[in-house]
Amino acid sequence: MLGYIASRAFRALVTILLVLTFAFFILNATGDPAILILSADAPPEAIEAFREEWGLNAPLWKQYLGYLWNLAHGELGRSMRDGRDAWAVVSERIPVTLAITIPALIIKLVIGISAGIVAALWRDTWVDRLVMAFSVTGYTVPSFVLGLALMLVFAVQLGWLPAAGADSWRHAILPIITLGVAGAAVLARFTRSAMLEVLGQPFIRTGLAKGLVWRAVVIGHAFPNAAIPTLTIAGFMIGSLVAGAVVVESVFAWPGVGRLLVSAVGNRDLMVVQAILLLVTVTMVSANLIVDIVYGFVDPRLRTARGGPARGGT
Amino acid sequence: MSDASLPSTEVETSGRRRFFRAWPPAVLLALAWIAFIALVSIFADWLKPYDFMALDLRDRLAEPVFMDGTFRHLLGSDELGRDVLSRLIESVRMSLVIAFLSTLIAAGIGVSLGFLAAHFRGWVEQIILGAIDFMAAIPFLIIALAVLAFFGNTLTLFILLMGMHGWERIARITRGLAIAAKEQGYAAAASEIGASPFRVYGAHILPNIASTLIVAMTLNIPEVILLESGLSFLGLGVQPPLTSLGNMVGYGREYIQTAPWILLSPAVVIILTTLAVSVVGDWLRDRLDPTLR
Repeated sequence: MLGYIASRAFRALVTILLVLTFAFFILNATGDPAILILSADAPPEAIEAFREEWGLNAPLWKQYLGYLWNLAHGELGRSMRDGRDAWAVVSERIPVTLAITIPALIIKLVIGISAGIVAALWRDTWVDRLVMAFSVTGYTVPSFVLGLALMLVFAVQLGWLPAAGADSWRHAILPIITLGVAGAAVLARFTRSAMLEVLGQPFIRTGLAKGLVWRAVVIGHAFPNAAIPTLTIAGFMIGSLVAGAVVVESVFAWPGVGRLLVSAVGNRDLMVVQAILLLVTVTMVSANLIVDIVYGFVDPRLRTARGGPARGGT
Repeated sequence: MSDASLPSTEVETSGRRRFFRAWPPAVLLALAWIAFIALVSIFADWLKPYDFMALDLRDRLAEPVFMDGTFRHLLGSDELGRDVLSRLIESVRMSLVIAFLSTLIAAGIGVSLGFLAAHFRGWVEQIILGAIDFMAAIPFLIIALAVLAFFGNTLTLFILLMGMHGWERIARITRGLAIAAKEQGYAAAASEIGASPFRVYGAHILPNIASTLIVAMTLNIPEVILLESGLSFLGLGVQPPLTSLGNMVGYGREYIQTAPWILLSPAVVIILTTLAVSVVGDWLRDRLDPTLR
């Protein structure tokens, strides 16, 4: 088990390092930040001073090592726009984003998993068709369309809720619903197919044959086995808590990490973009790592198997 | 699903019922919609009533026919007097072309890497598997955002970037199928009589696993449409003066109170298209390859 955890943790670290390296070279290879920020017709002395200040005159590999060195000391650089610490700029947005993504996650888990289970247990009834129709809709309606539709109905037409902004808790309702509905649909579909697959297994028949009641078979045998694929998707959702709301935040002008990213990208604020990338990668990779470790506990077969469980795509 | 093996009672069912069992109405509708938008994008230049960039400042924010408008602008016009229907037709073409090309790119990368992994095994396979895991673990939308913003956005780059989406799933499927196929007689026989690896994989294994790959590609298309329209909605995808469905919705958001029709028709087209392609993809999967999930 320890070996399993260690190999997973090593992979996670490699992934984070790869993303950082990739991002560093992509972002630095794509234009001179000095010119991007100061504009091309700035006086040469100003550009030179800017390059000097940000260490842009050093060769790229030196900048890269310097970046890693600072990173290892917990320094993520300063925003090239306003000179504030990049991490401070990013971290003050995190609670704002979590204020909508955590309630949305709870909605996704509660509605998505229970709808998926109900649909699988009552397969081919009207309940199942209803859940699947809802789920397909959630798959195919882009979140910005859903958000705008909710806004049109509940804010513009009915006037019950504010359309955009973040001044009160009432502003959070529409973004939370938008995020929650889409995620619940995805989760319902996965839970349903996982349950159906498990319910078709011989050990379910064995359980029934040895005289267990249906309820005991479902709770004792079907749930734990169906939990594994469901866990993957849930882990992915937990990993995207910080940055899974880029589009929805934009729709509702919710001032979280996602909107900061969009504006930092627009402003060419390298350090802030890199800080957000780091934050997002670390959360996603650690969520995956935790899921992998939980897998190891839930399913002893995986501790020894190479490669681990197949990750289901969305 | 072969009709010959059906028990005799089932044979009595009318031809129509048998037809709809093989071709469910939802699938027929979805196929019809796909055929329709495919035709629209092929013949876009003839179908557009106006140039999609043409301004008509005397006729700004005209209402569509279904909202007391006139037939001058069937789906209304926007803030600059551009005809919504013409822009919609142009956008449909743009979004479909992007989705199709980038899925082809993803399939090209995925199939090549999958074959390489299956052929060489060993450390080549380990590297490719590592790359697949890496792709599955990174926040693709965020990285795409960063790349687009810093490279400056051109259509070619955008399509290439979208082509990076989903290759890892195709690579994983290809590798698994190719390894299985190598064990079968036909591939071994082909290489025994001296066929080069390129020939064995391209001319013998590929046709045999094509049905599964087509299903995987079909399921990739709606995802690319959603990704593309999301990025374009944020203003970071297809750049004006070009237009795509997400672009139109993003632009129409400004007028959601005064002129909701600007975003209404592109939003509906996005939903119907992703829905139709998903329905067809699921149906193909059930028909061609029930093992895929």
